[in-house]
Amino acid sequence: MKSPMKASLRMLTVMVASGVLIAAGASPASAQWSTSYEQFYMPGSFNWAFRDTYPAADRLFNAFDYGHAILYEKLYTSPGAPVSVLEGTEYDFITKKLLVNPPHVPLEESAIEVAYAKLAPEAKAMFDWAHLLHRQIYDVWSDDRLSSAQKDAQVAKLVTYYKSRPDLAFSSVPKSMELMEGQYYSTTFRTKYPKFNGLIWAYHWLQVGLYEPLVTGKTQADRQTGILAAVTRFKQMLESPPDGMPRIMPMTAAVAPTFARRYPEAAMIFDNLHSMHDVVSDILASSKVPQNKKREEILKAASRYRDRTSFAMTPAAWMQMAQMMGVENMGGPSVGFLPELPKGTVARGSTEAMNMGSMKGMSGMSGMGHGATLSGGTSSASGPPAPGGMAGMDMTGTTGAKTSSGSMDSMKGMDHSSAAMSGMSMPGMAMAGMDGSSGAMMAMHKRMMADPVIRARMMADPEMRRMMERVQIGGAGATMTHSHTTASPKKAATPARKTSTKPAQMKKPAKKVPMAGMDHSKMKM
Amino acid sequence: MKLQFGRAGGLFAVLAFASVASRASAQTDYYNTDAGRPVQIEDAYATERYAFEMKLAPVRLERTRGGVYSWAVEPELAYGILPRTHVEVEVPVAYVDLGGGRSRTGVAGVDLSLFHNLNVETTTLPALGLRADFLFPVGNLGPNKTYTSVKGIATRTYSWSRIHLNGQYTFGSNDERSISTGSGGSATASGPGGVEISRWLAGFALDKTLPLRAMLVTADFFARQPILKEDKVDYNLGTGIRYQVVPKWAIDGGFGRRLNGPGQGWFATFGTAYSFALGSLMPGSGR
Repeated sequence: MKSPMKASLRMLTVMVASGVLIAAGASPASAQWSTSYEQFYMPGSFNWAFRDTYPAADRLFNAFDYGHAILYEKLYTSPGAPVSVLEGTEYDFITKKLLVNPPHVPLEESAIEVAYAKLAPEAKAMFDWAHLLHRQIYDVWSDDRLSSAQKDAQVAKLVTYYKSRPDLAFSSVPKSMELMEGQYYSTTFRTKYPKFNGLIWAYHWLQVGLYEPLVTGKTQADRQTGILAAVTRFKQMLESPPDGMPRIMPMTAAVAPTFARRYPEAAMIFDNLHSMHDVVSDILASSKVPQNKKREEILKAASRYRDRTSFAMTPAAWMQMAQMMGVENMGGPSVGFLPELPKGTVARGSTEAMNMGSMKGMSGMSGMGHGATLSGGTSSASGPPAPGGMAGMDMTGTTGAKTSSGSMDSMKGMDHSSAAMSGMSMPGMAMAGMDGSSGAMMAMHKRMMADPVIRARMMADPEMRRMMERVQIGGAGATMTHSHTTASPKKAATPARKTSTKPAQMKKPAKKVPMAGMDHSKMKM
Repeated sequence: MKLQFGRAGGLFAVLAFASVASRASAQTDYYNTDAGRPVQIEDAYATERYAFEMKLAPVRLERTRGGVYSWAVEPELAYGILPRTHVEVEVPVAYVDLGGGRSRTGVAGVDLSLFHNLNVETTTLPALGLRADFLFPVGNLGPNKTYTSVKGIATRTYSWSRIHLNGQYTFGSNDERSISTGSGGSATASGPGGVEISRWLAGFALDKTLPLRAMLVTADFFARQPILKEDKVDYNLGTGIRYQVVPKWAIDGGFGRRLNGPGQGWFATFGTAYSFALGSLMPGSGR
């Protein structure tokens, strides 16, 4: 080096050249200034309890992170790539290698979805924040030092903490399916990539499904067994893709009803989270959304999922929608299931609008989910009564909720239990000839069966189930069932099928696996 | 070789104490790099909001030409005090073998820094960060006066690598020799018996993440002008690995070489880090 001055100039040159190199990697489009930021998780004695107690399940979630990340990256960076890249190469890698030997710690998704993370860091941060809530609630329910009341208190704190970041938090107001399935880009991903989409839905099934054995297990051994059974069921879903996978997006209130009743806000947040995962997939997969508009559409959807008014529906309607769409179409229940996978009753990837539209006289319910729109935060008359666990839920700010479409306005106050439903022909729910008294009976029955606990008890009793299958309402031979969905419009007039009367999820396992206390870390994944 | 392990033992005692005191349960991110862990060039992101990051037992061993060794333990504590902003305090403790049976041990100043990430990386812009360091004259190996330095940082991510650029300038007169340990903030180690503060430092790092292994491999190159006028610019190469052992614990290690100048030689680093948060500082804790 001749002199410090020369060296300084040389270094300056190097720095400027490097800066130019970095800038050259940026697109000439208008600058995207994003100030999203990360925030630490809520500290507590329960931190990482799930990882310590259920290591096999915990590691699976690390693998799930990869699935989401590589999906977005491939969809965004290789829009013209053959379908086989995701449906074959990536799917096989995930299911045959990654899920068999999942990563030991949560993944840094930015290192996998490099381009996507730069495209929509705000949306990525929203997912990260919600995934953190997921994991922290697992932790609370895995900490056996906490009493049930303490767990409730901690979950309430976690939800409050989660909501303290309105720039990241998904709304705890449920959103109608119109937001996910009624946009111009909707369903592209599920149509084009049925296997990978099924995998994502299976992920989401397990993510919400694991809460149920945690919440319902009476002992640590129960919970261990339940978690293991749910994980095993998840893997069972992957054995015959996509047949064994959920046919529609798993909803927390259907897959984990006890959890959803106990923590409705968390459940609705998770449904919104999983719904937006699908929306982002659709936006990235759809050729109708130009590459330079993808960020805009993602941020628009993200905003709608954060606010409390767009596409809002009542919690009661949300709960009822989950019931009516049929848990058997969502992968089945996560506890007390039969060895075989449930038989779905709707077409794979069908939308709620398609399924509801197939019911005569209900075509106007598209995106509505049998519920009333939000109006002053009250529930529709037809919806099941708000479960006790929902007491105290913060519904402020929901007054004057905007509807997803004009079609929903006509449904306000609709009473599904009234005679207004007469003449409606729904597969699995033929009600022709019902008179007023049987209509009232039907309404009462519907309300009772909408309660997951009552439903579980009824269905767990074989004799009761047979009685329900035989019961004739109104003397017109209307067999009452609770499969309100259909495989396709063509089948709309099909009489109730016996198979649809088997809510397999309510049966207890034929044989309990004696796995209490087993070491998950030794479980081959 | 005149390494005196007896005196260096004190440093290991500090290390051991720090390890015992580190019962924290949190997640540390191997992906977000820090100066000196293991390489000098860092990324543009701050410690996350509300997080404390305790960098424990970051040990640096340096061997200069002539076989003179110096050790340093540089415990640091960072706190995400505001969105995209952290404050950090570092108290380096150094042992310098001066040769001829002479050595010096002591605190090598207190470094207080403020780091602010301006933005998150997007399709059109790299992530940008600013850092200000204040090196206070504390300890028998510390400088004789306070030095202030500022640093600009840029991070750009590609599918094949991340690139980080750092450029730093230190204010203040250069009429004194001052001791510092090296890896963090405004100072880098130099020859025996004296460690110099940089007038300026500039360099870049490339790193490659292996996400499924929770590992990051990195390498950097930087040049620095010592604050003493008579010293020439020196050039440095470094490489290392960061690895997430468990969600709450990360380790890093690296080695490098100073390519020229009186301090020419090699160095090695090793460190661990825990992150945690205090419930009393979290939002809503007072309600």
